Amino acid sequence: MNQVLNKIIKINSINNIERLIRWKTKSGLCDRSIYTSRFLRHGDYEWKDPKSEDEVVNITYIDKNGKTYDVRGKIGDNALYLAHRYGIEMEGACEASLACTTCHVYVLDDYLDKLPEAEEKEEDLLDMAPFLKENSRLGCQIILSKELEGLKLQLPKATRNFYVDGHTPKPH
Amino acid sequence: MQTTRKLLIYSQWNKNVFHVVKHRSTIAAPVAQCPYADVATNDHQIIANRAKKEVVTEQYLPYSQVPGPKPIPILGNTWRFFPIIGQFKISDIATMSFLLNQVWGRIVKVGGLMGRPDLLFVFDADEIEKCYRNEGQTPFRPSMPSLVKYKGELRKDFFGDLPGVVGVHGEKWKEFRSRVQKPILQLSTVRRYVKPLEQVTNDFMTRCQTQLLDENSELPNDFANEIHKWSLECIGLVALDTRLGCLDGTLDPKSEPQQIINAAQFALRNIAMLELKAPYWRWFPTPLWTRYVKNMDYFVEVCMKYISQATKRLQASGGVGGALDGEPSLIERVLKEEKNEKLATVMALDLILVGIDTISMAVCSILYQLATRPEEQEKIYQELKRNIPDKNTPLTIQLLEKNKYTKSFIKEVLRVYSTVIGNGRTLQNDTPICGYMIPKGVQVVFPNLVTGTMDEYVSDASEFKPERWIKSEDNDSNLHKFASLPYGHGSRMCLGRRFADMEMQILLAKLVRNYKLEYNHKPLNYAITFMYAPDGDLKFKMTPRVE
Repeated sequence: MNQVLNKIIKINSINNIERLIRWKTKSGLCDRSIYTSRFLRHGDYEWKDPKSEDEVVNITYIDKNGKTYDVRGKIGDNALYLAHRYGIEMEGACEASLACTTCHVYVLDDYLDKLPEAEEKEEDLLDMAPFLKENSRLGCQIILSKELEGLKLQLPKATRNFYVDGHTPKPH
Repeated sequence: MQTTRKLLIYSQWNKNVFHVVKHRSTIAAPVAQCPYADVATNDHQIIANRAKKEVVTEQYLPYSQVPGPKPIPILGNTWRFFPIIGQFKISDIATMSFLLNQVWGRIVKVGGLMGRPDLLFVFDADEIEKCYRNEGQTPFRPSMPSLVKYKGELRKDFFGDLPGVVGVHGEKWKEFRSRVQKPILQLSTVRRYVKPLEQVTNDFMTRCQTQLLDENSELPNDFANEIHKWSLECIGLVALDTRLGCLDGTLDPKSEPQQIINAAQFALRNIAMLELKAPYWRWFPTPLWTRYVKNMDYFVEVCMKYISQATKRLQASGGVGGALDGEPSLIERVLKEEKNEKLATVMALDLILVGIDTISMAVCSILYQLATRPEEQEKIYQELKRNIPDKNTPLTIQLLEKNKYTKSFIKEVLRVYSTVIGNGRTLQNDTPICGYMIPKGVQVVFPNLVTGTMDEYVSDASEFKPERWIKSEDNDSNLHKFASLPYGHGSRMCLGRRFADMEMQILLAKLVRNYKLEYNHKPLNYAITFMYAPDGDLKFKMTPRVE
């Protein structure tokens, strides 16, 4: 029983990126030393081009004005840092440490079902996001995989200023 | 609850209320409540047009018209900036916050403070929400002038470009936070601590059971001190990768754990003194200041010692690190990724400085509520029994997550008796709040303790109802997301939050699963001795549960 439990803990204790890196390390796709480098933090990883077509994941961002950006991402890219690379206005003030909602996005079509379910901490934050919808997620928690080919992410009207054009604050 | 609180306010502040009211009639305060509705506003535009100041100011009432006690005879000289966690503190500030709200409305200016910027209390969750959302890249969080002086002036050579996060602002803050926040906040590292923190908590329970209980199964008068030691032992594990040994049977006065306990207690009691009494130390070294510096130096020394040991262990393991069951610990991860021992040392120091008292005071409050609310305690016990049928099953992050009611109980205690009574930001830009144009530099206070218990933002606000936090179809109670934010929100959210939550959840799970807690003495009042917590001896009765 304990062994099984421990196994479950182990599996769950590795988050997506780490799991991916371990897999890559094992399969010789990336050097072990990268594990200790800083790409996890500042999105350096997202600035690397895909090494082969197998790695490519094409996704689309739609900004708040409706402008679309087709982006050629790769497996393991974080949707927030990938957006930064292509100059798309997704803020991410807390740098993916689950403390804010400034990378709030809508996941279009049926891609929501293909994403791993949001952890409770993400859910709690989403509750605080302005313009929350059923298909809301935090961009920083979306890690690209082959399954997400064609993913469409739409940015909300605003992530910071609560009152946007056309909205009048209600009297107290 | 609310009624008791009002009574308390009026009995304690009778004279002062009179005073305030008298004042109010003489000043030109055109609006006591938020005049938002009357003012044509579009913040988006306002912020965009910030450059055209004359246009902006015409739309908003000037700062000078914000209501509030003009001179501050009612506040006396005790009104000082809060030392540790970035709010303020006078012994009665809790009562004072309620009073300010009742007398002056939802935005209150407290000006004329000796050598300090004005304080602006905002009792409006929507406005607090806007402040958090508009806080920009490097939010400024006022805190701990003594620590600022220590880090920034006295030990400038040591801290230099890596001063940490507490009491640090701007780019330096951002860089440091950015380098350490992922391992501290992301669950991938945090979840590795369930097992070792459970071990610490088991040791604590054993100590309570075998060494602390008297013949009536009651815990000693200074039980708060024992909670303090537990909290210290936990933070030692997280920040220093070591078991400090604070929970050992009898400690030699000269032993390291005892010295660390003393130093931490000094931090608790005397920093408050340092900040609250006239701060002469700002100009010359008073005896208290000298002792503070000695104490801080000791903490730095302890951190350096243990981080250096951790570095050696990491090197010995070939740079992999496996302090936690073969997986890298928080410190190891930071050392590996940043390759900077000093950075890890300063991070450890910050974690210790703010991680001991906050958690232990919150636990005092939670345990007191638990002991005096048998119904809720029974619900927690039933939930734990359901989720952990065999009480010896080791805890996991999944098990902790399943304890929804237990978690909600903690949230509810922090809502009604917010340990850290408020949060704050120093405005980086002129900002419209409640229809007034507030100039930059003003310190805005978000009084969680008050907003968390306002009927406007929370249904049945005066009722203690943990269920309100449980998400379900039939839970339609109103709960403004920004009314009770014990850890703040956004890029300056409490860095130790995940560890704090986890430590409290583990303690509650272990304690209630195994014991029944009662309190059979005179009810305690809440007061700010240092933080908002029950003021008095926590002589709980602790009896093992019979299955």
